[in-house]
Amino acid sequence: MSFGDFLLKNLQQFWELTGFANAEIGNFVMLAVGLFFIWLAIKKNFEPMLLVPIGFGILIGNVPFNTGAGLEIGIYEEGSVLNILYNGVSAGWYPPLIFLGIGAMTDFSALIANPKLMLIGAAAQFGIFGAYMVALAIGFAPDQAGAIAIIGGADGPTAIFLSSKLAPNLMGAIAVSAYSYMALVPVIQPPLMRLFTTKKERLIRMKPARAVSQNEKIIFPIVGMLLTCFVVPSGLPLLGMLFFGNLLRECGVTNRLAKTASNALTDIVTILLGMTVGASTQASQFLTPQTIFIFFLGFMAFIIASSSGVLFVKLFNLILPKDQKINPLIGNAGVSAVPMSARISNNLGLEYDPSNYLLMHAMGPNVAGVIGSAVAAGVLLGFLA
Amino acid sequence: MKRKLFLTAIIVVAAASTAFAQGRKSLRLNEVMVQNESSIVDDYGERHGWIELFNSNFAPLEISSVYLTNDPQQPKKYPVPLGDVNTRIAKRQHVVFFADGQPDKGTFHTNFVLEPGKDNWVGVYDADGITLIDEVFIPASLAADNSYARSVDGAGEWVVRDGGVAYITPSSANVIRDTNNKIEEFAERDANGFGMTVMAMCIVFCALLVLCLCFYGIGKIGASVSRLNKMRAHGVEKHEVAKGDIAHDSGEEIAAIVMALHDHLDAHDTENTILTINKVKRAYSPWSSKIYGLREVPGVNHRR
Repeated sequence: MSFGDFLLKNLQQFWELTGFANAEIGNFVMLAVGLFFIWLAIKKNFEPMLLVPIGFGILIGNVPFNTGAGLEIGIYEEGSVLNILYNGVSAGWYPPLIFLGIGAMTDFSALIANPKLMLIGAAAQFGIFGAYMVALAIGFAPDQAGAIAIIGGADGPTAIFLSSKLAPNLMGAIAVSAYSYMALVPVIQPPLMRLFTTKKERLIRMKPARAVSQNEKIIFPIVGMLLTCFVVPSGLPLLGMLFFGNLLRECGVTNRLAKTASNALTDIVTILLGMTVGASTQASQFLTPQTIFIFFLGFMAFIIASSSGVLFVKLFNLILPKDQKINPLIGNAGVSAVPMSARISNNLGLEYDPSNYLLMHAMGPNVAGVIGSAVAAGVLLGFLA
Repeated sequence: MKRKLFLTAIIVVAAASTAFAQGRKSLRLNEVMVQNESSIVDDYGERHGWIELFNSNFAPLEISSVYLTNDPQQPKKYPVPLGDVNTRIAKRQHVVFFADGQPDKGTFHTNFVLEPGKDNWVGVYDADGITLIDEVFIPASLAADNSYARSVDGAGEWVVRDGGVAYITPSSANVIRDTNNKIEEFAERDANGFGMTVMAMCIVFCALLVLCLCFYGIGKIGASVSRLNKMRAHGVEKHEVAKGDIAHDSGEEIAAIVMALHDHLDAHDTENTILTINKVKRAYSPWSSKIYGLREVPGVNHRR
């Protein structure tokens, strides 16, 4: 073999390793999806903290390479760096860490001051089970239907946690769908809220919430964890961490831990979670008819969840005393999507009455929605795992 | 002093109970064959009676130093040797010991044999040689090449298996499943998902309703304690005032108190969610908008 042949042979081998030689049309479609997510995040400010990592993760996951070369770089290749990072998703330990952070940064005062708002958070979970029925009708198996339906809980970590247990092969599509619709909450919810409420109902003024003592705030995570986890032990990883984070925040003696959980830890896990979920959406796994169905079902779930929250408040108002009526505009906040959906309640309320601030009231069902969706995930896990 | 002793006692009891909980109670005798004529062979190509153990836990279990025995009077008859990696049983998995009376052949060869045609008893004792983890009485009527097994791994009745329809399963599950029964059952009996919806929504509502009721109660107790404290601060006896006479301080009063504390003592309310003069610094984070959502007075939306 001449030196020229030797160079040519090696260059040819190198060419076979490049992305250009291994590219398929699916890779380019997914790269376009990734770029679209990044554009949405940067230009439209749609959930940028999540869509930038997910969008860039999609780019990482869809750079074509020769899978037969044994480079150990793909996210599904055991032992690769991406695979090690992906373990937090596939084994389901990133979501509980995110919940720890959420707990450490969430103020449950609105809920403690007006506990009946918890029921709105429960009612909105109907979105999950409505979507479950639709998914079964389309032809998904019960475990897959459960994993897809949890998108209706509007809670990304919960969706990832449940899908990693019930339908790992659908997790990428479920996670992307869940975060996409969470970003689109300001588009999806207001028309539904207007549709199901009258002008008179939108003007209802709610009594200001009472002040909540620090003791109550400390008792809440302890009692909350014990009660909900005794009912649904399968929700322990999520609920346990959520309430633990909240106790760190409220007990007043672990400020350093609460700060770390709510800032540095959450930031790190958010980066890793978003990036690896994005990278898991490889064209071969993602570009399937199932993905279209999952996006459709996610949309259905959001519509059902938002509507059922609003309609439940209207129903609830029938039995509440006149001075304790609830403005149905806070019903949409029963889906988690913290705090986006509560802000929507507030903004819509202000549209009809510029001095009617609903934000604090809406935060009640909003955080109840986080608890409710974690309980619902535990129920699905208990029944179907 | 008494209080310290009491606390120490609680910690000791808690630690002891934790240690007990972490014991090897999940180890189960799962299947036994007394007379092996055509079943599995050992590493030496020989057939002997065998004892299958099952880790019923969902975590790996290390069984070295537990005792296997066929004599209740000698609980420490065969100690499972230390230092063998194979004595770590993976979650929900099995391990087989050959009862050949030849422990020099390796870890999984006991120093006793099971006797065909006689009643046999097999027990597993924990490392203390006192705590009986599991036991089984094998009837003398058990025929050659039949096994005596639990109907379900780690649980259920002991039944005779003849290798026909009731298959013999050394080192594998006593019930071989090719599908998830739960999912099959849901697919068959609840095809439209209505049952799941009703059950799950009831559970979600119950969980949050219980929490709701609990916090109504806690709120009431808190309010009444705070009222009592306030009465005490005002030097008023309970019987002297009708309910509602002790009104809440107005926002203006609270603001004045906080201003005074801040000006004169450079102190502020510890409950930073209620009222504070000090500027609350918040580090930027992707989730911090949640805090802002809770704490900031929202701006008026001018889009009409």
